[in-house]
Amino acid sequence: MASAAPTKLYADDVSLVVVLIDTNPFFWTTSEKNSSSLSFADFISHVLPFLNAIMLLNQLNQVVLIATGVNSCEYIYDSSLPHQQSADGKMPAFYSEILTKLEQFVSKDQRLAKNDSSLTMSSLLSGSLSLALCYIQKIFRAGPLHPQPRILCLQGSPDGPEQYVGIMNAIFSAQRSMIPIDSCVLGTQNSAFLQQASHITGGIYQKPAYPDGLFQYLSAVFATDLQSRSFLRLPKPPGVDFRASCFCHKKTIDMGYICSVCLSIFCKHHKKCSTCGSNFNQSQQDASSTLDHKRKTPEA
Amino acid sequence: MPQVKIIAKNFMDMVAALPAMKLDKLYDNAFICEAVLRSLPPLAKKYVMQMLYIDVSVTAKSLEEQVLPDGFSKHKVAIDRLLQLRIFVQSIDRKRETSYKLNPKFQDNLQKYLVYGGSLPREPMPTNITVRLPSPEELEAYAVDQWENFLLQLVTSAQGEKQMGFSSHLLKNFQRGLMSSRENESPKMSEHGFQFLLMDTNAQLWYIIREYISSAQDRGLDPTDLISFLLELSFHVMGEAYNMNSLTEVQTSAVKDLADLGLVKLQQGRKESWFIPTKLATNLSVSLSDTSARKQGFVVIETNFRMYAYSSSKLHCEILRLFARVEYQLPNLIVGAITKESLYNAFENGITGEQIISFLQLNAHPRVAEKIPSVPENVTDQIRLWETDRNRVEMIPSHFYDDFPSKDVFEAACDYAREIGGFLWEDSNKMRLIVRGEAHQDMRDFLRRQK
Repeated sequence: MASAAPTKLYADDVSLVVVLIDTNPFFWTTSEKNSSSLSFADFISHVLPFLNAIMLLNQLNQVVLIATGVNSCEYIYDSSLPHQQSADGKMPAFYSEILTKLEQFVSKDQRLAKNDSSLTMSSLLSGSLSLALCYIQKIFRAGPLHPQPRILCLQGSPDGPEQYVGIMNAIFSAQRSMIPIDSCVLGTQNSAFLQQASHITGGIYQKPAYPDGLFQYLSAVFATDLQSRSFLRLPKPPGVDFRASCFCHKKTIDMGYICSVCLSIFCKHHKKCSTCGSNFNQSQQDASSTLDHKRKTPEA
Repeated sequence: MPQVKIIAKNFMDMVAALPAMKLDKLYDNAFICEAVLRSLPPLAKKYVMQMLYIDVSVTAKSLEEQVLPDGFSKHKVAIDRLLQLRIFVQSIDRKRETSYKLNPKFQDNLQKYLVYGGSLPREPMPTNITVRLPSPEELEAYAVDQWENFLLQLVTSAQGEKQMGFSSHLLKNFQRGLMSSRENESPKMSEHGFQFLLMDTNAQLWYIIREYISSAQDRGLDPTDLISFLLELSFHVMGEAYNMNSLTEVQTSAVKDLADLGLVKLQQGRKESWFIPTKLATNLSVSLSDTSARKQGFVVIETNFRMYAYSSSKLHCEILRLFARVEYQLPNLIVGAITKESLYNAFENGITGEQIISFLQLNAHPRVAEKIPSVPENVTDQIRLWETDRNRVEMIPSHFYDDFPSKDVFEAACDYAREIGGFLWEDSNKMRLIVRGEAHQDMRDFLRRQK
């Protein structure tokens, strides 16, 4: 940590928050039918004041908004870019900018879905995490002065096991650069990916019990800057689901075969590792001695 | 007992020291709520955010429960600050439980801010009236120029040179604190003056603004008006022109003084006049919290005590001259050395070694600033050593007792002095005792009881 340097040019609580919002239409349409959960419009009306609140807390704070669609992801808003100041008294200018950008994004995402026949229900979280990390790397490289970054995932749709490798890679690179990934899960199920992401990077994982009070969760828990977090007792998940997805069929498994050379995971026995090409039954006929039979269970 | 003196350490302490009525009046203004929120310690900001949409009081206990044992002192500081600034209103119920509630005005203003966004304090003038506005670079250069001029004035007037045109009461402010001027003698810079020069720009700015506000009180102005105007000023857009007609009388005179410091630039059109805030003004509320300053350094110190300062500013040269021997000056480079003589000179003027070191570290050239330490260790150590050279003798105000009636009384007195921690020296043969000054009263009472 650079905290030993005597010249602290940025105050401790200056933060860069990259917010990833889930725009998955499959999730939001089912969510709207359910009376206890949020509609997309309500969700946005909770998120926008939260972004504003982050910027209110410190003049140097920075907010970046990235939309996670089904087929694509995109930067929606970056508070560091110059924006026109046309406050008409009803709504800050950037709210309307975000709304129009989001609308464009959602319709573009929909068009992409029509061209592509393979139907997936999950959002492209690995893509938006990578975008967020790229942005933060850019900030890191811009100079020695930078705010403390963190990522906040507002995820609703269930995990897409086919993105396992991409998401894990993103998580590990976030861990290396010491970027916490906070996650707030709005769906009915816990997200194993995000549980692992927050656990590994030291972020906060929370699944709000009352989604209609989302803003309170956001402002009380996720608005807390990294420095203050070291003094506070923040919500901890009861357990983390460490299950992995296999590389061959992208299924979530709790028992499988692992390549002893490159640690790739498979749900079935293979003759050759599809990732690194190692031949499994070369010397011995008995497969069980060369293959690690490892059991992965969720932590209680 | 040493006299307890409350020194306004930063600007927000000054705001906190205002009477409750005036503070509540300040919170009518949304900008002030915003600026005050930003000035809070991080943990306090978090509490405000958490309580923002809670309309009932929250017990102190439930807030404490969140805090880890390590963070308890920080928690205390945050809560104290919030109470001082009347952002939290404390209430104690029948069961003697303390609970807090956000100040309703403050809460209301911030809630509105989050939903409707901030509006501008006043509309900028249309561009067809203001003929030619300075570009951001010009404005920045103007601000830096004006500011350096002002500081240079401080240095040169201390050297007995002629004064440039600054409004008299503005200058008087600084002379009061920073210069010691006796009659028939040219003003000499005081200890504070030298220390002031070594502070970073934001700290200097706030020092002056503080002095300015407290002197306004002497002139019969309400400091609340000035404080709210200054905070408001920091929310204006840099480089835009604002009509002078939109200001009250107090504000107009304040704007004129601030123009001398480079916070605003005044321009005169055909019919109307306007002011343009510079970066110094818009940064006012950023620098409210102590540690946020961004400035490129220019000084390189080598292990052989040579100093290279990449600067063409006359002010920098004068500041370096305070503690170093400047040898030659090239158009963009000042070359000098830190010597024992130059440092002794600085110490005599009341500058401490720590101040010099922190100045060198804060202003280290970007190339060396990346290194840790940015100033070679042998240089910093030597500066500290030379400083302690001068402080071989420590002076403690004390009292000397002799003529004790008997050995017993003397020894009892010695023991008592040790007990209260005031003992300094004794000579049991001649029965003499020296005790710290602050322990004198206790000693006197003790000796009286012995009789």
